[in-house]
Amino acid sequence: MADIEGSPGSSMHGVTGREQTFISSVASPMVPTDTTAKFALPVDSEHKSKVFKLFSLANPHMRTFHLSWISFFTCFVSTFAAAPLVPIIRDNLNLTKADVGNAGVASVSGSIFSRLTMGAVCDLLGPRYGCAFLIMLTAPTVFCMSFVEDAAGYIAVRFMIGFSLATFVSCQYWMSTMFNSKIIGLVNGTAAGWGNMGGGATQLIMPLVYELIRRCGATPFTAWRIAFFIPGWLHVIMGILVLTLGQDLPDGNLGALQKKGNVAKDKFTKVLWYAITNYRTWVFALLYGYSMGVELTTDNVIAEYFYDRFDLKLHTAGIIAASFGMANLVARPFGGYASDLAARLFGMRGRLWTLWILQTLGGVFCIWLGRANTLPIAVLSMILFSVGAQAACGATFGIIPFISRRSLGIISGLTGAGGNFGSGLTQLVFFSSSKFSTSTGLSLMGAMIVACTLPVTLVHFPQWGSMFFPPSKEISEEHYYTSEWNEDEVQKGLHQSSLKFAENSKSERGKRVASAATPPNTTPTH
Amino acid sequence: MAAHRLVVASLLLCCLAQICYGKVLFSSLKRTLDVTASPKQGQVLLSGVDKISGTWALNKTFPAGTDSSYKTIKLKLCYAHISQLDRAWRKTVDDLSKDKTCQHKMVAMPYDAANKTVHTFEWLIERDVPQATYFVRAYAFDANDVQVAYGQSTNANKSSNLFEINAISGRHASLDIASVCFSAFSVLSLGVFFYIEKRKGKSQKQ
Repeated sequence: MADIEGSPGSSMHGVTGREQTFISSVASPMVPTDTTAKFALPVDSEHKSKVFKLFSLANPHMRTFHLSWISFFTCFVSTFAAAPLVPIIRDNLNLTKADVGNAGVASVSGSIFSRLTMGAVCDLLGPRYGCAFLIMLTAPTVFCMSFVEDAAGYIAVRFMIGFSLATFVSCQYWMSTMFNSKIIGLVNGTAAGWGNMGGGATQLIMPLVYELIRRCGATPFTAWRIAFFIPGWLHVIMGILVLTLGQDLPDGNLGALQKKGNVAKDKFTKVLWYAITNYRTWVFALLYGYSMGVELTTDNVIAEYFYDRFDLKLHTAGIIAASFGMANLVARPFGGYASDLAARLFGMRGRLWTLWILQTLGGVFCIWLGRANTLPIAVLSMILFSVGAQAACGATFGIIPFISRRSLGIISGLTGAGGNFGSGLTQLVFFSSSKFSTSTGLSLMGAMIVACTLPVTLVHFPQWGSMFFPPSKEISEEHYYTSEWNEDEVQKGLHQSSLKFAENSKSERGKRVASAATPPNTTPTH
Repeated sequence: MAAHRLVVASLLLCCLAQICYGKVLFSSLKRTLDVTASPKQGQVLLSGVDKISGTWALNKTFPAGTDSSYKTIKLKLCYAHISQLDRAWRKTVDDLSKDKTCQHKMVAMPYDAANKTVHTFEWLIERDVPQATYFVRAYAFDANDVQVAYGQSTNANKSSNLFEINAISGRHASLDIASVCFSAFSVLSLGVFFYIEKRKGKSQKQ
């Protein structure tokens, strides 16, 4: 342990100051508790909760968490609701394979744009209204399924329902107003993972609802349309709950949120510039397209695949497909945990290796899934594939916070967009054409995952190294994070938060932290 | 010794069972049944409304005893080639256990070898039959429910006597109305909440 007094890291034992931490509560000396506040949970000076108590519904913090993740879950349910019912829908609407594939592409493309707008909406109206607006305005698009009569209508409606996935942004934004930044990583990671589970739950829910409606006497071609009312009602119910039970801030006051300065203090063009000129942003956007992207693609194709290939009943295929998405419950947090563990031992190089290993294994299991000829092997390979891909998602967000301090928001957004883009691309290339079968498509997608994960070997952090190269001795964390500010800005002292972050990020050196004793009075040269 | 015999006997039984329940290839079946269907080439029928009727009989050019194993005749509605394009879930495969050409069961009738007359069938087109082009095929099954012969209303190339069925859309006026009502409720309740809260906010400031 560092014994030199005042040396960086000595007073910050255990605290890393980065977003993706997996601690669930912050002890008092680090972040002082505001004892005057009367909340169910201990809060800091901004009244944000310092503790993440999962099974509590305490107002407003935990209540916000549950409202938020369930809204996101609901949007996943409605976006992927058509997937397990495709065997019925394709007969009703006389769809070809290309139509089915294009609808899948459409369902994930809409949110690329809506997520960008959502950030602005949350800034203007607050996350509570952002979430409620989106979820209640997309409810009519879900109900619209009952009008669809041909391929064009089907594709259009799935595109519009896909807009609702922007609740991801309102979800994360809302949590950041309610939870202290030291635990926000776990909170946001859990909310994202549990929301993603909706893609799995829907494969279970929709066939069951469809069966039930059919047994009540409806013909198949009507029953699936009625089944879509369920996700539609969920939208309306969650929207009303969010409006009545939710609040924007711990203190309940929206106006204060805007006065406090959620208005960006930094210039947008600068922030955007530093995001897009950092090559790591693009590498991780590509990588996320082949972890989150293939997860979304598989949510869209897997139920139909099992139904056709193994001649299963609709609800049996649904149960198997559901286990793919439901693995998110543990797989994504596991990925983040594995990344943190590797960081403790090997620093950032460990994180990069962990990501490469998890994502490549996911790709290998995807190849196996496509080649599997018997049901038990197919299910086994699918589950292993899901763990690999979803853990890789978690591991990706273990690295993202370190790419840049100044442009973290935009980089996270671009990465997320890369995920959806990868999903659209893989569906278009592998699952929309009759040139090869779905099983061949799965194997080819697996091969592409392995290939597109290789760029992670190119990611080099000068202060920490890369997968194959050690760190350079001259460049420190301060140097790296301060390089995002120009001379003028540094003169004005705008780079202070980056300096602080650099300080805390020394944990990414792995076991070398203790030996990294720089003299306490050195100011980094710029 | 007895155990040894038991093993051999069970192995033999399994082999015989495999022969019985093994893969049946369509190309191995003989076309011994003559099947006709009432719809003419290019005719369009409505599901839920129209009926398909037809006849089937054993073709007399085959030697006596060909039909000794036939126990049941099942008539099925099969997709024509044009409705199989770009739709791998309707693909024709030689292995009958994997073949997806004939997905809609029409009628099943017991086969009586003694009765050599022409049999007729009639079937109301069910409402879950999709929009496509079809022909009719009859499979003869033996006592183990394995296909042993077939007949179809079209030629060997599956290009003649094809008819179209127009499916129901599945839409209902009541569904449409319910859909519009719930959508309107969603948008209106959002608007009402927003308005009420804005007004409360204004009155609080005053």
